[in-house]
Amino acid sequence: MKEPDLISDMKESQQQQQHQVQQTKPIFTLGTKTDSTSKLIDLANLKLTNKISVLKCNNQIKELHTVLRDCETSHSDFKFYSDRLIRLLVEEGLNELPYTECKVQTPSGCYYDGVKYISGVCGVSIMRSGEAMEKGLRECCRSIRIGKILIQTADEDTNKSSVIYAKFPKDVATRKIMLMYPIITSGSTVILAIKVLKEHNVSEKNILVLCLFSTPSGLQSISSQYPDINILTSEIHPFVPTDFGQRYFGTE
Amino acid sequence: MFRSNSSGSDSGDECPSQIQSQAIKRTMSRTRTTSTSEKDCNIHIKGSKTIYTAGRPPWYDSAGQMKEALVVGLCGGSASGKTTVAKRIIEELNVQWVSLLSMDSFYKVLSEEQHELANKNEYDFDHPDAFDFDLIIKTIKELKKGKQVHIPVYSFTTHSRESRTKTVYGANVVIFEGIMAFCSKELVDLMDIKIFVDTDADIRLARRLKRDISERGRSIDSVIAQYNKYVKPSFEYYIAPTMAYADIIVPRGGDNSIAIDLIVKHVHRELNIRGGKLRSDLAFKPNHKAGEPLPCSLHQLEETKQTRFMHTIIRNKDTPRDEFIFYSNRLMRVLIEHALSLLPFEDVIVTTTFNKQYEGKRHANAKVCGVSILRAGECLEPALCEVYKDAVIGKILIQTNEMTSEPELHYLRLPSDIKNMIVLLMDATLATGAAAMMAIRVLLDHSVEEKNIILVSLLMAEQGVHNVAYAFPKVRIVTTAVDPELNDSCYIMPGMGNFGDRYFGTEKDEF
Repeated sequence: MKEPDLISDMKESQQQQQHQVQQTKPIFTLGTKTDSTSKLIDLANLKLTNKISVLKCNNQIKELHTVLRDCETSHSDFKFYSDRLIRLLVEEGLNELPYTECKVQTPSGCYYDGVKYISGVCGVSIMRSGEAMEKGLRECCRSIRIGKILIQTADEDTNKSSVIYAKFPKDVATRKIMLMYPIITSGSTVILAIKVLKEHNVSEKNILVLCLFSTPSGLQSISSQYPDINILTSEIHPFVPTDFGQRYFGTE
Repeated sequence: MFRSNSSGSDSGDECPSQIQSQAIKRTMSRTRTTSTSEKDCNIHIKGSKTIYTAGRPPWYDSAGQMKEALVVGLCGGSASGKTTVAKRIIEELNVQWVSLLSMDSFYKVLSEEQHELANKNEYDFDHPDAFDFDLIIKTIKELKKGKQVHIPVYSFTTHSRESRTKTVYGANVVIFEGIMAFCSKELVDLMDIKIFVDTDADIRLARRLKRDISERGRSIDSVIAQYNKYVKPSFEYYIAPTMAYADIIVPRGGDNSIAIDLIVKHVHRELNIRGGKLRSDLAFKPNHKAGEPLPCSLHQLEETKQTRFMHTIIRNKDTPRDEFIFYSNRLMRVLIEHALSLLPFEDVIVTTTFNKQYEGKRHANAKVCGVSILRAGECLEPALCEVYKDAVIGKILIQTNEMTSEPELHYLRLPSDIKNMIVLLMDATLATGAAAMMAIRVLLDHSVEEKNIILVSLLMAEQGVHNVAYAFPKVRIVTTAVDPELNDSCYIMPGMGNFGDRYFGTEKDEF
């Protein structure tokens, strides 16, 4: 079994993918939107598309949110619990990748109806906070390709975010992109990153944004600008811990 | 041969043990002689067989109910050869998990005054009042129920109990010996077989003289004085009359091979009545009807494409070990995260960095202990430690006896305060559930509450899930997939092969 992104012969894989794209539409089928989420969104009086889904919450995940929001949490705990939450988010996000059915033989001689992922995935992290999520992705997909975008967030002087650096695998346009950024507040950073990806000919519907904490308004501004973008977040809440990067990297 | 508690008994290592009056050997200041000889410690091992050659077969039935331990009472006068008889029985019995308990561990704690008397050789240790019968009865009752017990260690220097205790767990046969073993009606009622060792008074006196003078350097006068003052009257008043309670009277003590042979045969017969074919009962005589829905104590992980993808790789017989390990580790992580969501939580409100209140949840003060069923269960330990920093880890080694196909308990090490913890019992796969049930039984015997046990496995067979749920309905069962069948050799179908062998690379047909 190959890693989802591992295929030596690029051309062949591209053909395969294109073929697959036509067969399975949409590429990302996000169906885990929970009732509580829709209620939350209703409360915030928002119109969100079904392209946005939320990690199914249980007590355990609620605790992770609680620890990450608590101002008393130490740096090492913050990192530990972030990594746990990120891992869960990545595991869930990987479910959205295209796959095919297959049959394998078990050691006892029986057959098992399994699934196989189709290669051609790429992670893209928005520096710096998004890099915190690379580890979780790497733990699940050992040799996945990872592109990076460095965005200078809006400061008081310029009031405008700007892209400083971007580096992707050369066939990024044909891949499914997992765009990683932990926090969506206004959504401007993610919007800018999507814009960069689109400039590299990545199709909107091939992008899945993985995000830990997001605000209703941030999600709305992303989806109103890019209606075909898929977003997976672990929590939608009017207030998000915007200091995630500082606390994760310990540069408060 | 049988297992012993020969080392580290006070550190919580719970090999089932013989309790012997080793304290006496260490503290010779006490003048009263006892029936313990220097050779006692050798009786744990018969021939070249070592401690871990055989484990404890199931001591409960397929519904998880206990079979009581067999209690053998051994009574007889001082120096009558009780210990020799006990040793011979244990040797001839050749079954595992026998505990030998000596009444000497249960002497009462003496007051200051009595302590003085004892030092002057004027305290009567040969009187029923010298023993703590309440504690003896309580201990035997617990042992009979299969519970873990703490045996006091009596110090003959201070005539009090030492702060450490000996932990005894897991006896299928308990042999209790002591001069006053039949002096309490309630205690006698607990015994399944009652044996009186009857040795002539002159022989007993001769043995005492020889032992006390040559081995303990005492004068002939003092030995005889003590014999006349305490030992002889005590035997006549308290011990000899209790011979009436005995089922078997053994003349001449340990040399009486015919008597010992009869006793051993009887014990074997009793054990056979209690024994059964647990694993085949579990596999082929189901406690549930076919097609019955899976029990509600099962918390199966929601199947996603990722879990199916990981299963595809793990189950494929052609998967190289590198990938097998990587993907099973990944699946274990998801499994453990899911299991942790079953812990008790409480609502809390925390202050966030921007001084806002956030309504969240925290673990409700629960201590979590991971207990892995060796060997394959050990693979889940890293996954637990990765997500739960403070987890304590216990281990239980259960192996299948290839002759009987029954699971056998070989080793266990559990944290001492496990009864207050929530236990994640981990095994890689669950087929008939026989090993898991044995492990659950061990935990219950250590006073863990049934509702605090969470059984975690990557893959389970439907049959095994039903077996565990039927026997232990409050145990929560967590797994990533339930397979429909077991084959004739009790392997899960379609299954994933022998998980431990594939993970550790010990498959038989590999080069």
